[in-house]
Amino acid sequence: MVPLLFLISIVVFTLAKLMPGDALSGKIDPTNTNPAYIAEMREKLGYNDPLYVQYVRWLSGVIQGDFGDSFIHKMPVSQLMGHRLSNTIFLALLSLLITYLIAFAAGIYAGRRPYTLGDNLVMALNYIAYAIPSFFAAIVAIYIFAITLGWVPASGTISVGGGEGWLASLLDRLKHAILPAFCLGLVQTAQYTQFLRNDIIESSRKEYVRTARAKGTSESLVYNRHILRNSLIPIVTFLGIDIGLLLSGAVITEKIFVYPGVGSLFIDSVSNRDYSVVMTITMMLSVMTLIGNLIADLLYGIVDPRIRLE
Amino acid sequence: MKKKGSLGMSVVLAFSIALAGCSGQPATTEGGQGESPGTTTTGTAEQPSGEPKYGGTVTYGFSSPFQGLLERGFYEGVDDDKILYFMMDPLFQVGDDLRVYPYIAEWTESEDHKTFTFTFKKGVKWHNGEELTVEDWKYALEVIAHPDYTGPRYSYVEMIEGAQEYHEGKANEISGIKVIDPYTIELKMKRAAVNTIDNLWSYPMPKKYYEGIPIKDLPSSPQVRQKPIGTGPFKVKNIQPGEFVELERFDDYWQGKPYLDGIVYKVYDGALATSLLKNGEIDITDIPRSQVKEVEKLDNVYIKEEDELGYAYIGFDFGHWDKEQERVVMDNPKFQNKKLRQAFYYAIDRQGLLDAFENGKGTLIQSPMPTVSWAKAPDSELIPYEYNPEKAKQLLDEAGYKDIDGDGMREDPQGQKFTVTYHAMSGTEVSEPRAQAVIQFLREVGIDASLNGGSLKEFNLFYDMIENDDPSVELFAGAWGLDSDPDPTGLWRSSDMWNFPRWYNEESDRLIEEGVSEKAFDPEYRKNVYIQWQKLVNEEVPMIFLYSRKEINVINKRLQGVHTNSFANNLYSHKWYVTD
Repeated sequence: MVPLLFLISIVVFTLAKLMPGDALSGKIDPTNTNPAYIAEMREKLGYNDPLYVQYVRWLSGVIQGDFGDSFIHKMPVSQLMGHRLSNTIFLALLSLLITYLIAFAAGIYAGRRPYTLGDNLVMALNYIAYAIPSFFAAIVAIYIFAITLGWVPASGTISVGGGEGWLASLLDRLKHAILPAFCLGLVQTAQYTQFLRNDIIESSRKEYVRTARAKGTSESLVYNRHILRNSLIPIVTFLGIDIGLLLSGAVITEKIFVYPGVGSLFIDSVSNRDYSVVMTITMMLSVMTLIGNLIADLLYGIVDPRIRLE
Repeated sequence: MKKKGSLGMSVVLAFSIALAGCSGQPATTEGGQGESPGTTTTGTAEQPSGEPKYGGTVTYGFSSPFQGLLERGFYEGVDDDKILYFMMDPLFQVGDDLRVYPYIAEWTESEDHKTFTFTFKKGVKWHNGEELTVEDWKYALEVIAHPDYTGPRYSYVEMIEGAQEYHEGKANEISGIKVIDPYTIELKMKRAAVNTIDNLWSYPMPKKYYEGIPIKDLPSSPQVRQKPIGTGPFKVKNIQPGEFVELERFDDYWQGKPYLDGIVYKVYDGALATSLLKNGEIDITDIPRSQVKEVEKLDNVYIKEEDELGYAYIGFDFGHWDKEQERVVMDNPKFQNKKLRQAFYYAIDRQGLLDAFENGKGTLIQSPMPTVSWAKAPDSELIPYEYNPEKAKQLLDEAGYKDIDGDGMREDPQGQKFTVTYHAMSGTEVSEPRAQAVIQFLREVGIDASLNGGSLKEFNLFYDMIENDDPSVELFAGAWGLDSDPDPTGLWRSSDMWNFPRWYNEESDRLIEEGVSEKAFDPEYRKNVYIQWQKLVNEEVPMIFLYSRKEINVINKRLQGVHTNSFANNLYSHKWYVTD
């Protein structure tokens, strides 16, 4: 894992520096300043040094836990990330929870009644969820649930002046996060539902299921213990990818819902060429994906005794 | 001056230029607080009967997240700028006509225009209850001139005598600053300039409140980030980073107690502007021009349109920037013929572009001067360049650009193929069709134009290529933000790095010099010089000046007393009140 991270760091750094312009090209503004200031700052920030010097300086900082300062936000990256990360993780976990709840309910329901009206309905909704781009889904969802029905707020993470006490404040946060979380997980929900349904249908025709049925095992036991457990395995594979995907995929959703998380920070930092932030987030996503894969590997063991590591 | 980039770092309108300056004679107080000359109000802003009353809260919407650098000396974006208008007042204020007027401070100027004596009003309070004195301003000037200062505003203090020595670390204090008493301060300038006041830094910093913080740590300190204070009508109560700022009434405000109890500055997604205005979740905001038609249908709002301080243009590339000599070199023969450039101007239907891509919300311009500026040349003195493809063809014929081989596209006077690349920026949904429209207009008069490299360029790449004189850039579509003073220095002299067309004209350089000369202390003379200069660029066409767009400020009818102008829609917020 360490050599992999090292290679990733080289790629991340090189790609970031290959972007045309730098954090100062957006500052060309004679209202505020003159070319002398820009030249002076480039020198001060070390943008004129050879690339490898800049890389070594950055990497040695990262190893010591210093991710540098954000040029745009004028504060240490770690401080900037702290707040954003907690928002994004909250959103990602909620999204994961909603995804699993809906996908399991819908997938099992459809899988047990293949080719009936209910199954077709679930599948139709599924294809719609698949086909709608997430930014469009987000705007439609805001229009319906926040503006027309007024059930949830349209944007932000907490209400102005709201949330006294931990319970009220948690409920307030949930209220703000539920719509973006749902939109964020929409495609995954569709994907899982589809997967689970197909897998259940396929498994239910397998020999061991027929055996179980022949032995007189109750139908619910057959589905819940014999079939579901096998159908879970492929889904667990997704979990690893999902963690990285949820954090980075939040970019558009966070932007539309004005949800200040890592995703919206990332896209702003890329367009502002705020290198230290871009590199920190990219490294973090790489680490998350690696960890996600590790978790998935461990979970395999739990759902599938054959893969259990002794 | 102070109000940098009304356009700032917006993706569409990228770079901003400050043309600061103006005649510095003390004018009447409360300058330019009436209805701004450029304001168009639609929808009935019916004045409710009776006096404004106290109480109520309004929500001020802004469509992109804020950085939260809430100190005038450090902020960078329009986002923070808008918050700062609520919580921080300047010592002298730019009026709607872009002249500078006394506000918290008045000043007198010595005979030789080098020494300025400022007198502060007594009893002006910071939000923490301390009184504002000249020490706070002295401190601000020292912070900005300090070697450890990392913000971009050194150019606002460099004209003070001794500021340079202090900036280089050679002196312990700025020699040109002399405190006379807590309300009087004297500043000595390096040289006499007609626009000293416009270029001078006009905001104090709370010296006692910032005490003990090293200057390099100021931008990240809690005093700036979490608990900023100012001298404005509203004080910060609560900041939720990236989402909202709660501001509450400051009872000891120097111009009297504000009417509103509080203002919530709220970030929202621009795509939802119309819906949020409709259901009253946002009381005031400026909306994307693409939503104008929908907003005009709402019956709970009124609209105030303002010409922006800035313009969109299409530049010609004349040469390159010589880094050694620090001046432009006009070595690209392509566009040296004036008739050719004028033909391009006539070939483009600017009103058509405005109507198609900005919902018609803009004003055509023929010279690079804010439409509301006192120095703007009257339209009658400028060539209007109305859309006229026939005239364009005629000019091209005269200049020797004729179609010889019969392919419909013109060849240059030497009979060689004449092609033009058009360099344009991506960023909005209309970027692509707008670029194609311009190319089409040129092709219609026989100019073989095509998109540079076949695609639009992302903002950073776009300006990177122009700045470094990439040979593929021939025509380029950019935009500048302008500021209060008409002095074109910074963008137009042959020694300006940001003279992107790399255009040199002896007469232009002379007039720009003349505009800030000794004689220009006479405002009439100065105005005449700038009119001469505008006539020159209008005739020479170093770039095709397209239009100034309009800012569309939409306000809920319950909110009254709002003043808008070309650079802000939330000045004088102590006069805002609600009718319900």
